[in-house]
Amino acid sequence: MNRKKRYKLIIGSMCLFVLILGGTSLAERKVINVWHTETNPLSRKAVANIVDRFEKLHPDIKVEAEALAWGDLEGKIMAALAAGSPPELSHGQPITCAALQAKGLLLPLDDVVKHIGEDNIWDQIKKVGKYGDHYFGLVHAAGTSLLIYRKDLAEKRGLKNPKTWKDLLHNAKELTIDTNKDGKTDIYGLTIPGDNLFINILLGELTKANGGILFDDKNRPQFTSKCMIEILEFLEELTKYLPPGWEGHGYRETFANMYGAKAAMMYQGYGRGASLIEQYAPKHMTNTDYFDVWIKPHGPSGTKPAAQVDEEPWMMFKGCKHPKEAIEFLKFFYQDDNYLEYIQTVPIHFFPVTKSLRRSTAYQETPMIKKWKGWLDVQEHYLDNDLVKPTLVIDWKDMTTKPYLMEILGSGILKDMVMEVTKENVPPRKATDKAQKRAEELIKDKGYAKW
Amino acid sequence: MKASSQKMGIILITPSVFLICALLVYPVLYGVWLSFFKKHSFFPDQRFVGLANYLYLLKDSEFWMSLWYGTYYSVSTIVLQIVVGLIAALILNEAFRGRNIVRGVVLFPYMIPTVVAIILWKWLLNNQFGLVNYLLLAVGIIDDPLSWMGKDHIMTSLIIISVWEFFPFVVLSVLARLQTIPPVLYEAAKVDGAGAWSRFIHVTLPQLRNVLFVVILLRSIWMFTKFDTVWLLTQGGGAEKYIRTLPVFAYMRTFMYYQAGLGSTLAVIMFGILIASTTIYFKMFRREEGI
Repeated sequence: MNRKKRYKLIIGSMCLFVLILGGTSLAERKVINVWHTETNPLSRKAVANIVDRFEKLHPDIKVEAEALAWGDLEGKIMAALAAGSPPELSHGQPITCAALQAKGLLLPLDDVVKHIGEDNIWDQIKKVGKYGDHYFGLVHAAGTSLLIYRKDLAEKRGLKNPKTWKDLLHNAKELTIDTNKDGKTDIYGLTIPGDNLFINILLGELTKANGGILFDDKNRPQFTSKCMIEILEFLEELTKYLPPGWEGHGYRETFANMYGAKAAMMYQGYGRGASLIEQYAPKHMTNTDYFDVWIKPHGPSGTKPAAQVDEEPWMMFKGCKHPKEAIEFLKFFYQDDNYLEYIQTVPIHFFPVTKSLRRSTAYQETPMIKKWKGWLDVQEHYLDNDLVKPTLVIDWKDMTTKPYLMEILGSGILKDMVMEVTKENVPPRKATDKAQKRAEELIKDKGYAKW
Repeated sequence: MKASSQKMGIILITPSVFLICALLVYPVLYGVWLSFFKKHSFFPDQRFVGLANYLYLLKDSEFWMSLWYGTYYSVSTIVLQIVVGLIAALILNEAFRGRNIVRGVVLFPYMIPTVVAIILWKWLLNNQFGLVNYLLLAVGIIDDPLSWMGKDHIMTSLIIISVWEFFPFVVLSVLARLQTIPPVLYEAAKVDGAGAWSRFIHVTLPQLRNVLFVVILLRSIWMFTKFDTVWLLTQGGGAEKYIRTLPVFAYMRTFMYYQAGLGSTLAVIMFGILIASTTIYFKMFRREEGI
């Protein structure tokens, strides 16, 4: 055998060896795909650590965890389902969970709930994913929307927690400040994101806080109601105290307005903002003496405050390859030690869904939790008094009876209505008529109209 | 011999014909077919509705608004790209120190991925902390920061970004042609007493006719169907409503309303508009230009 032939034989044998080894290893390991929406580096690292530990315990399972941006997730889930290759597990909006469950595309997570202990899960959490006697969604963590305000500025002006929208307008006016007396506003009273998602969240909250509904029992939109007209009139007034161009501001920009001292209140804030304040605000201001939270006010036709709860459930998809292994992974994820590591990555936004962890010393002693306790207290107040609902959900029964909320959210109908009133000076009644017509068409098109 | 070479020819072109059918003809026909159905984007529910989707869109004010925004956006950006690109190409055709470096730098906007360009511009145009407002305020052009991403200026911002991003294509095409114009034409014009402006009008422009014809055609098609730049600028943000061009509207109908039938109808309408305007463009100029 000459040298050339010998080399060929060696290289060929090596390739064959690698192929056999790789093939064997792939054939033996079951791959479960996990999509989640926590894209920040700390949460991703925590998920990676949990996956590492799980894989060590289960050498026959490989977990492919992928962090996806909110905006990408729904479309990706739908495309994967249509292609017949869904992941084993994914986060999703509660209304997405409701829509997919209604179409019979989800598998139950009852074994995970049983493993955690049904009594160990907060009642509010159970309402998100329980359909009949089965859990088709299990929230990974809960966090509510918050009315964040500059405590130092409010105290200086003697402002108190607004009880009604009228009080909020008063506070917004008082907190719109010309600091250097040159006739120009330097700090605006309030900041809200103009994104479609956040406008939908806002309208859902305001509808609840004003004692109204978005859709009746026959699924007919109620956008021309007195409640909605009052909401739009309130927003028309409120947006006078917002920074110019607020409609182009995303969620992070509204936080930049807060820690950059360009706005004094933020209506659609969340606990994860505490981490942004710690990162970007001047050092002496990174505490609750400067940034605190108020309980949200109610409208003229309402009696109770309302907020939105950001609690994306885990969902397991019908047609996935390894459901049993996915269940094992979720059981492992919710074990106190693993779950704590995950929760601590965004501690002021991630309320643990298990009572055992929320009451544990390890959780209570987390430095950020001690520092921003006021923010958590308000969230706990909302959660324990059932003052929060997922996006566009007014009543818990909406989760099972209104599977078209996902399409309403995506369509931008509500956002367009708000923009027409606040930016184009369209009278609220005219804007609601147009939105009503569009929403009716959409619901009819989806086959849910019963009127 | 003849028959066997014919057979061989057919065999050789078969893969290409198959690829063209699979990648071009089938998707287009499927899109047209889908436009006659009411179909969910991801689930197999579908129902034949004939021309109902077309009739619905004809009565839909959102559709007409999108058509207006799309036309306004594409016409404005094409005109500005041609003007800016032509001026830049004329400058870059002159001899000056560092010309090669400048020629390279001019191409940068075209090479940067759109998503990166948009992130960059969004920060530059941020109304609270952006560099553009800072500079405009510093030199006294404006008294108050402009809301570049707000309702009143979002279309202007989109046009500026698009012109910045795509004018290098015009530069590249025009510059290539400018370098092939025989110098003797300019010398003859000079002898006849033509000034710089006259030489541009009577020598340069006629020589650029053919290349401008193609550039305008291609850029019109690309700008009218432009999706990424427009969508990434707002990604469904509040001001998205004011730059909701036809491709964005088609995307929203398909992937946010989950109405694949209506989305396809919009795509077919866009296709029809492009075919019609391209035909008119050819009829108007081809005879005149002798192209």
